[in-house]
Amino acid sequence: MKVTIENKEALWLLRLADTSLIMGQRMAEMCSNGPFLEEDIALSNVSLDLFGRAEELYKIVAKLDGDKFTPDEYVFHRNEREFYNIKLAEQPNEDFAWVIARQFLHDVYAKEAFSQLESSKNSDLAALATKVLKEIEYNLSHCKDWMYRLGLGTEESNHRLQEAVDHLLKYTSEIFNWDELDKANYPDCEKIESTWNNEVNRVLAEVNIKRKEVPELTMRDFRDGFHSEHIGHLLSIMQYLPRAYPDAKWS
Amino acid sequence: MVVIDINKKYPEIWEFLAEVPDPEIPVINLVELGVVRNVEKEGEKVIVTITPTYTGCPAKKLFEDLIREKLVEKGFDQNEIITTLSPAWNTDWLSEATKAKMMADGISPPTDDNKIVTCPNCKSTNTKMISKFGTTPCQSFHSCIDCLEPFNYFKCHR
Repeated sequence: MKVTIENKEALWLLRLADTSLIMGQRMAEMCSNGPFLEEDIALSNVSLDLFGRAEELYKIVAKLDGDKFTPDEYVFHRNEREFYNIKLAEQPNEDFAWVIARQFLHDVYAKEAFSQLESSKNSDLAALATKVLKEIEYNLSHCKDWMYRLGLGTEESNHRLQEAVDHLLKYTSEIFNWDELDKANYPDCEKIESTWNNEVNRVLAEVNIKRKEVPELTMRDFRDGFHSEHIGHLLSIMQYLPRAYPDAKWS
Repeated sequence: MVVIDINKKYPEIWEFLAEVPDPEIPVINLVELGVVRNVEKEGEKVIVTITPTYTGCPAKKLFEDLIREKLVEKGFDQNEIITTLSPAWNTDWLSEATKAKMMADGISPPTDDNKIVTCPNCKSTNTKMISKFGTTPCQSFHSCIDCLEPFNYFKCHR
């Protein structure tokens, strides 16, 4: 099966859908690996929200592109270079601090992006944005709690959060390399970047984490389907079953 | 806010749709929960409009299956279930009677902006949150400082 997408708005929306999916898959890896039971359940719930959001976004993608494919087909039958998620999303769960920092950096961006999409001309997207915004805010408050606990906790927790932030920040600059599709679909791209910078700087300063200068990313842009090495490993696990057993069904 | 947009045209259909329990909180049904938004008929066909609670709720697909099962059971083989996301589901749609049923079943019902969380066991409001996330996406986990009972609270979502 070759999944193809022609509609421009659908191609653009795929960036948000794929980002939500890959964030969800990474978070799902934490199910049964959380630091304690309540947090394990919390992280799994965050993952469910991300998957739910991705599914609804893929439905809109499908509708825009003439319903040629189902959400499952977008998820399971595309290869690395056909995914358009931000590279931040695919960064691995090296440490609990990585899980939290990745979610925090993403949620601050997602909150402003979906706030702007509440006024989208596409009524399906506008309705979804209003709905998911509440969920994003809730998840953001959860990972922000952890940013404070880790950053202001012990020397060890602060050090590990600093390492996570240092690594993950490298993958954030590409989010704001807006192209024509972004400019056509967000009312105010620049505001997404300034809001993100303000909030990230504010929280990092409050939790005693330095925002270091990060070298410019030499990898090409996620908008062209370029990724870090991690995406292939993630997809191989996520897509294995429906590719190995094409007609497999839950029964 | 309108508690529920009941279409008076088909009270008998609304009545049996209220027999469909929420799969995760069976003490309340999908009409009370605000999941069923509208009922229409086109000839013999029944069209039910539903809305999901949370986008990632694992019961989302099950809502549809359970409603279809009920329609078929009542003889409405021709049916269509439409999902709408607007207006977004919120806990203001839960009636006081529904909240009382939750409390009696051991789930603390939503209050304005989560300001007061009441223990379903001893009714004390001296309670604390254990985790923002409970056993389902719509609940958080709390415990009572007075009677020590751990319990789920149905989060205010608006």
